[in-house]
Amino acid sequence: MARGFDHLFKLLIIGDSGVGKSSLLIRFSDDTFSGSYITTIGVDFKIRTVVIDGLRVKLQIWDTAGQERFRTITSTYYRGTHGVIIVYDVTNGDSFANVRRWLEEIQNNCDVVNKVLVGNKNDDPDRKVVITEDAQRFARQMDIELYETSAKDNINVEDMFLSITRQVLNHKLRTASNEQQKDTINLKHQKNKRSKKCCS
Amino acid sequence: MPGSGTGTGNVPMAVKSTLDIVRQRFKEDEIVHYIFEAYQIQGQEYLDRLLALVSSESGGTYAIIAFSYLRTPLTTANELIINKVFALNESFQLRQDGKGSITTMQFDLSTAEDRPIKYYYYPLKSQEYEEFVAKVISCKNSMYKCDPEAVLNFSWLNDYRQIGEVKQELKKREAEYIVYKDIIIYCATWNVNNKPCCDSNSPLRSWLACSEKSPDIYAIGIQELDTPTKAMLNSTQMQATVEQWTQKMVESLYPGVEYEVLRSVRLVGIMLIVIVRKQLRQHILRCQLNSVARGVLNTLGNKGGVAISLQLHEGNICFVNSHLAAHMGYVDERNKDYNAIVEGMRFDDRRTISDHDHIFWLGDLNYRIQEPPGQQRPGPLTDAQTYELLLQYDQLGQEMRKGRCFDGYTEGEIKFRPTYKYDPGTDNYDSSEKQRAPAYCDRVLWKGTRIEQLAYDSIMEIRQSDHKPVYAIFRAKIKKRDEIKYKKVQEEVLKAVDKRENDNQPQITVETVSIDFGRVRFNEPSMQDFNVYNNCPLPVDFRFKEKDMHDICEKYLQVDPRQDSLMIDSARSIRIKLLVDVRTVGNLLKKIRTSDNFDILILHVENGRDIFITVTGDYQPSCFGLSMETMCRTNRPLSEYTQEQIKHLMRDESPEYQVTMPREFFLLIDYLHRQGSNLEGCFNAHDSRYSLGGHFNAVRDWLDTWSNEEFPGNVQTAAQALMLLLELPEQSLLEPFVEDLLASSSKSKAMDYIALLSAPKRNVFMHLCMFLREGILCQYYDLQQVALIFGRILLRGSSSSSRMDYNSRCIQFMRFFIDSDISDSALGNGHASGSGNIQAKSSTSATFSSSQSR
Repeated sequence: MARGFDHLFKLLIIGDSGVGKSSLLIRFSDDTFSGSYITTIGVDFKIRTVVIDGLRVKLQIWDTAGQERFRTITSTYYRGTHGVIIVYDVTNGDSFANVRRWLEEIQNNCDVVNKVLVGNKNDDPDRKVVITEDAQRFARQMDIELYETSAKDNINVEDMFLSITRQVLNHKLRTASNEQQKDTINLKHQKNKRSKKCCS
Repeated sequence: MPGSGTGTGNVPMAVKSTLDIVRQRFKEDEIVHYIFEAYQIQGQEYLDRLLALVSSESGGTYAIIAFSYLRTPLTTANELIINKVFALNESFQLRQDGKGSITTMQFDLSTAEDRPIKYYYYPLKSQEYEEFVAKVISCKNSMYKCDPEAVLNFSWLNDYRQIGEVKQELKKREAEYIVYKDIIIYCATWNVNNKPCCDSNSPLRSWLACSEKSPDIYAIGIQELDTPTKAMLNSTQMQATVEQWTQKMVESLYPGVEYEVLRSVRLVGIMLIVIVRKQLRQHILRCQLNSVARGVLNTLGNKGGVAISLQLHEGNICFVNSHLAAHMGYVDERNKDYNAIVEGMRFDDRRTISDHDHIFWLGDLNYRIQEPPGQQRPGPLTDAQTYELLLQYDQLGQEMRKGRCFDGYTEGEIKFRPTYKYDPGTDNYDSSEKQRAPAYCDRVLWKGTRIEQLAYDSIMEIRQSDHKPVYAIFRAKIKKRDEIKYKKVQEEVLKAVDKRENDNQPQITVETVSIDFGRVRFNEPSMQDFNVYNNCPLPVDFRFKEKDMHDICEKYLQVDPRQDSLMIDSARSIRIKLLVDVRTVGNLLKKIRTSDNFDILILHVENGRDIFITVTGDYQPSCFGLSMETMCRTNRPLSEYTQEQIKHLMRDESPEYQVTMPREFFLLIDYLHRQGSNLEGCFNAHDSRYSLGGHFNAVRDWLDTWSNEEFPGNVQTAAQALMLLLELPEQSLLEPFVEDLLASSSKSKAMDYIALLSAPKRNVFMHLCMFLREGILCQYYDLQQVALIFGRILLRGSSSSSRMDYNSRCIQFMRFFIDSDISDSALGNGHASGSGNIQAKSSTSATFSSSQSR
């Protein structure tokens, strides 16, 4: 195994500007946190290899600019993505309200994609405005798993990334075993199937 | 060459800076005690090395870290690349030995973990070398003399060690997670002398179940399996023979344990079968087999070897069963057979026999006992002393001692009678005429680590063959992962490898991520420069990335260079040119309508991140490129509008207008109309309108300010401006009816569509036609030519524009409206054209103060 991994997945982190996308990535890849805020003007990526069920899974995690004006450009980075991490800030209600828009972005730009919803900055109860129950209800409605994290205090970050990775891995293994059947189903068909599944 | 060392003091500034830079490479609690400049020689190349003697306060230990550097003098710590790390542990050695070499100015650094590495130094550095050596020795001594019992911690060095492939790295750290598991391996070999298996009344248990403890793995080799010529040709029969033997063997294994046949391999009469304890099966990660044929012509396979290679946990085990050349005098042939098997045996993963941790070689090796002539055979060959005596003359032992075969193999002590050659059915040696001398033909040898032989014997009471069966039992300590420890080490290794990849990601920084062009005007070029820097420790390639199948940027922008390479610590200026002209104004207006910026460029670093560069500016609205509708929504000169205001007007889709016709259009028509006969030929050179000179800007301003001054150009420029006003808007004047109009066969039909145009478009069209018709009537210009030029402008964007008859259709359409000969009479429908006339006239006379059209 010269390449050093069994699977390579591309993950994408999206969400409003300032919700902590880069911080989550740095926490996961370098296990560090910097309090100073630097806006991501572009698209950055880090890699990290994790072991799941004895398999080495190399993750290439793309961190996108959240600013509104970059939205059309960042949407081009959705292509080839295996999993998307949608981040909001639990101390910012608007960022949670915008999750719906980000989900639409995914719908419009990806074929089949695994998702996880992340409420970041969950480290100060006094400042929290998006209450867990509401987020949980919404996540259930959308059929997405919810994680409340803190990149600053390193809460749930590892679990969240491992969860989406496992989701992607299971999806891949499942798809591989169904390959022959799926060969005949065209893309449009697949899309329909997926959206139905999401709503149910 | 950077200054270095702390003792010279000749060039204090340079010395200080290099040392300071090296210090930056280390953590706060790590102290750089000395730096010494050396070099290595690789082929023809001299490679500079900087050796830093460093200690860690938290670790309490010293080390030498050798750097290579990308350039001299050093400017940043990033240019230092770690080349080698030597812990000053107990095994560390600094040796000077330049004997017989080109220079004595050389030394070796080594530790138990690393082979010695040679460094050289320049003659000028001799003094510093002495200091360096003294420091190193005193540092090492200080660690070991103070407290010889102290456990020294070198783990801080892990941050500086080179990390290789994950697999290599895991291998290197094997000691941290490998444990050993005892495995009982039962090897058995028997030359069955072509006797059929079913002959055996007594089960083989006395041969295969001799161990005290239950074996984990059996490797059973048979030679001279019943292979009559017929059977060789008949695979079914052969298969049956093999199955009978297998069945028999499985029945005779250690009782009370469930076993499973792993694999078996056969070459003519040479068969090897590996049977494993059932619970062990899941830990066998790999199993391969192969054979090497020898014997007649070295290919027939009546002699040769078969082998099975397997991986149990982390241990690689190989079993070989061979039948080597027979007869007393054929020692060399046997050695050749052995070597041929060793050379020729390759498993699917290209592994050879020697690529295993534990190798067990069994079989009828056929080496004989070559007693000197006249030697008296002592007694009945049944006691240990006799075996010892006989074994002196054992060819295998002799050949091994001479290094001719089984190099590195071990054999246990033989305490049994020669296994060959018996009268079948008896324990008596060959009584036939041949009177073959007894010999230890049947042997089991091993090679590898952590193998202990527990038993080695032959079975006298199995008598059907002329050979006695032999078995050997081993305990091998097999490498096995402690899964918890392995997981931890693997995580650390992956983290380190990932970190290296992340740290080595090419990076560039840009001076700015927003380029503001400030005031931008139609037909006036401008440019902006910005710098990109490479401040990562690698050369970097960058390029501007294409966006969604399009170009890297909007048409009105030009980027130079579009791609380039940056050496370490170098910078490159990038120029962005902006020109909003005839070709690009449409693109810019569209962009302004839909976005807050002029463009976003994607600066892509090869194998790295993308940086978005936003291009903005403040466009001074001008009439050129605006739709008639937008212009009709203005109530003051365009020069008084801002970009934001014009954006709102462009987005406005209501049918409410400030004026019936754009004033800019009216001003041009009015000017041209007053020129009378000067108009002759003014609509000829229509191609020239794409290249506007700087003088055209006066016309632009005249129009955009609703100037009362004299028109600043001539008839030609006015005609040019008129055509551009009609041609530059995104939509052609007669949209959305271009196709319908091209297909209209009569003026009345065309008129039906014209009536449906928006008021500004309709008014402009009718007014234009009236003006042109007048010019044609006065013979200022040619009907056909004007009809073609304006037809193609007004009916542009048609899907039929590439058709042969497009031009003639354009002309035909225009003639409905500008050919006075046919417009009213020949084409009929006088009332329709009449109404157009009235409309146009009313527009002409309309005052621009009128607040609304219909």
